[in-house]
Amino acid sequence: MITLWAAERRTVDTAEFGELIESMADAHAAPLAAELVDIVAHISTEILRTPILRTAPQFVALGYWMRAAAIRRIVAEGRAAVPDGNVLAPRGLALHLPPANVDTIFVYSWVLSLLAGNSNVVRLPAKVSPPTEALLAIIVDALAGGRISSKNLFCTYPYGGEVEQRISPLFDLRIIWGGDEKVALVNKVPIRPDGLSIGFPDRQSVALISLEAYDRSTAEERDELAGRLFNDAYWFDQMGCSSPRLLAWIGTAVNRETLARDLYSRLQSVIERKGYEVAPSVAVAKLLVTNELLAEGAGHRGEWYSSELQVVHTAEPAAALKRGPGGGFFLECTLGDLRDVRLLVSRKLQTITHFGFDIDQLMELARGVAGIGAYRIVPVGQALDFNPTWDGVPLLSHMTRQIVVKAN
Amino acid sequence: MIEELDQSLAKPPYSVPQAARDHTLLSGLNRLTRLHYERCLPYRRIIDGYWGGQTHSGDLEAVPYLPVSIFKSQLLQSVPDSEVRVTLTSSGTTGQAVSRIRLDSASSTIQQRALANSLMHVLGKQRLPMLVIDTDAVFKDPKLMSARGAGVLGIMRYGRDHVFALRPDLEADYDAVAAFLDSLEGRPFFIFGFTFMVWVKFYELFRNRGLDLSNAVLIHSGGWKKLAERAVSNEEFRAAFREAFGLTRIHNFYGMVEQIGTIFLEGPGGLLFPPNFADVIIRDARTFKPAPMGHTGIVQLLSLLPHSYPGHSVLTEDLGVIESINDHEGEWAGKGIRILGRLPRSELRGCSDVIGMAA
Repeated sequence: MITLWAAERRTVDTAEFGELIESMADAHAAPLAAELVDIVAHISTEILRTPILRTAPQFVALGYWMRAAAIRRIVAEGRAAVPDGNVLAPRGLALHLPPANVDTIFVYSWVLSLLAGNSNVVRLPAKVSPPTEALLAIIVDALAGGRISSKNLFCTYPYGGEVEQRISPLFDLRIIWGGDEKVALVNKVPIRPDGLSIGFPDRQSVALISLEAYDRSTAEERDELAGRLFNDAYWFDQMGCSSPRLLAWIGTAVNRETLARDLYSRLQSVIERKGYEVAPSVAVAKLLVTNELLAEGAGHRGEWYSSELQVVHTAEPAAALKRGPGGGFFLECTLGDLRDVRLLVSRKLQTITHFGFDIDQLMELARGVAGIGAYRIVPVGQALDFNPTWDGVPLLSHMTRQIVVKAN
Repeated sequence: MIEELDQSLAKPPYSVPQAARDHTLLSGLNRLTRLHYERCLPYRRIIDGYWGGQTHSGDLEAVPYLPVSIFKSQLLQSVPDSEVRVTLTSSGTTGQAVSRIRLDSASSTIQQRALANSLMHVLGKQRLPMLVIDTDAVFKDPKLMSARGAGVLGIMRYGRDHVFALRPDLEADYDAVAAFLDSLEGRPFFIFGFTFMVWVKFYELFRNRGLDLSNAVLIHSGGWKKLAERAVSNEEFRAAFREAFGLTRIHNFYGMVEQIGTIFLEGPGGLLFPPNFADVIIRDARTFKPAPMGHTGIVQLLSLLPHSYPGHSVLTEDLGVIESINDHEGEWAGKGIRILGRLPRSELRGCSDVIGMAA
């Protein structure tokens, strides 16, 4: 069944849906136009004052990300990236396939494409949470207010069949969020010959903590770090691609274990204070992975702080990283030096969060891993902050085209 | 065989009261932990890495345990490959990983002897004529050979003159059952089948045939999940068999391939009782700490049987509750438990969704 999210939700058949999307094919807007910024900013304001949204951290983060000042900065950067003499043009009609379980991704993807001047079809999961429902109501309302409802279609439809075959060839741009299998499956059906299909597949993330810096830091600083680590890891049950699953302690401090345990106890306090809980089956699943890693010799020591926090020390971090049961399961390893971080890096590594390093060290780290993997290096606490350059792809420029103009 | 197991088997089945049982089990389990620690490298790594190298525990609740699913991903054995006589696998739907349990010939014998000891408690010392609520194709046809087939074969050893109530197409073999009952001339006999099959393929097919099964002992196992979906409880199950066939001696049992040979047999009040050489600990589902009687939690199983693989203390994924301790001194000693089904599965969020296509 195909459902369209509008002021009044309605269902349509494949034929009507196909015609509707066809009609959007040439309905582009000027990229980075002020009206588009206003619409996004308006949605931000509404998010931040709607009770069900302003109390949920991931929606607050979304609201802040798309507030007027932030969007103007993205627009300015977008303009600056266009060589003099080139004219920015929309890419055309975009299809967004967000993950079923992370309830804000679709907005980030859609907002950038909207700013790019594209027409958009966003496929939503069949079931959305009450906050997402509230968010969609705000968006639908804002689109109607900005008279761009016909260029932006939020909908639910069955994938992998007739509908997909019918509409896919119409798109200039397709953004796929999800696992490797989903990306591969979606890519079997082609979009326009000159279209661009961008996959954001399975990724893993790690946090680097300087032993020396942690040793030097005060109790308040350590608690704050634990709080930020909690946000990075637990907002999406540690199942987000950017949520750290490995903590690498960098340095040679002899009191390494004491320092690590100190952080885990503080993290445990945050978990308790926030009232985060996992189902018993999740705790058992984590216990199982702990035991498996130990049995295989990939893990050397496993510690149970609570159902919500289990830590396994590993000497084979790259191999162990593949295991991510989520819900508060951390691998930890010790690396003597930032240069050793290369050992963790692969194409699958997305975000490196850090604590206790200066910009020179981080730039050197970035240059060291360039071409191997790792696409973001940001402070602990910002793992889930969406950046218009995602997985190394500057989205705005991929969502637009440029017209080369020469007078003579 | 470790001496503690020998001692437990020498006593009348299901007779050892809790205090004495705690004592023997602790000594035996410590011995097994050491044995497996020495002979099974992956197990040693777990004990060293998660239990601080603890091979001696001061009480039963402190004995290290393995999550039972580890037998699905790791091949854990404490005997050399050359001595492995049989590898048992758990039932599982296609594509799912199954547990692999390795037995050498000594363990195989131990397991059979222990099971005989338990079944004797309700069947008596003589082997009885046996009606199997299944088809013999389940173990005769190698293509069908499964955990179910292995289970049927394993229990058949404790009966004689076997007759199968079902044909290979799983339809009722009314003639075979009638001939079997005629031949008995009122002597006692033994019926075995998997709980769901016994209900759907025996009760439902034979209920109106006027069969007199009052001389039978029915033993069944396999879990209540499918019957719960049909809203059939143990009480209803028992009442139905009593009414339809006059069959009152019914014993469900709870056990798993990871502790093959150890069965918790249904006694008074529909409760399940561990044999002398086994016990259960209920752990709070949030803290994993031992929970008191009456508290629902995760079931941990202890058994002195696993000698060839480190399965003597496993944390299951089942929920259960201890409802009595030593309430039936002599006949059914120790803890009486109820199994309340599997831990509910829970989906975590995450952007790496594979279900995104259908959603």
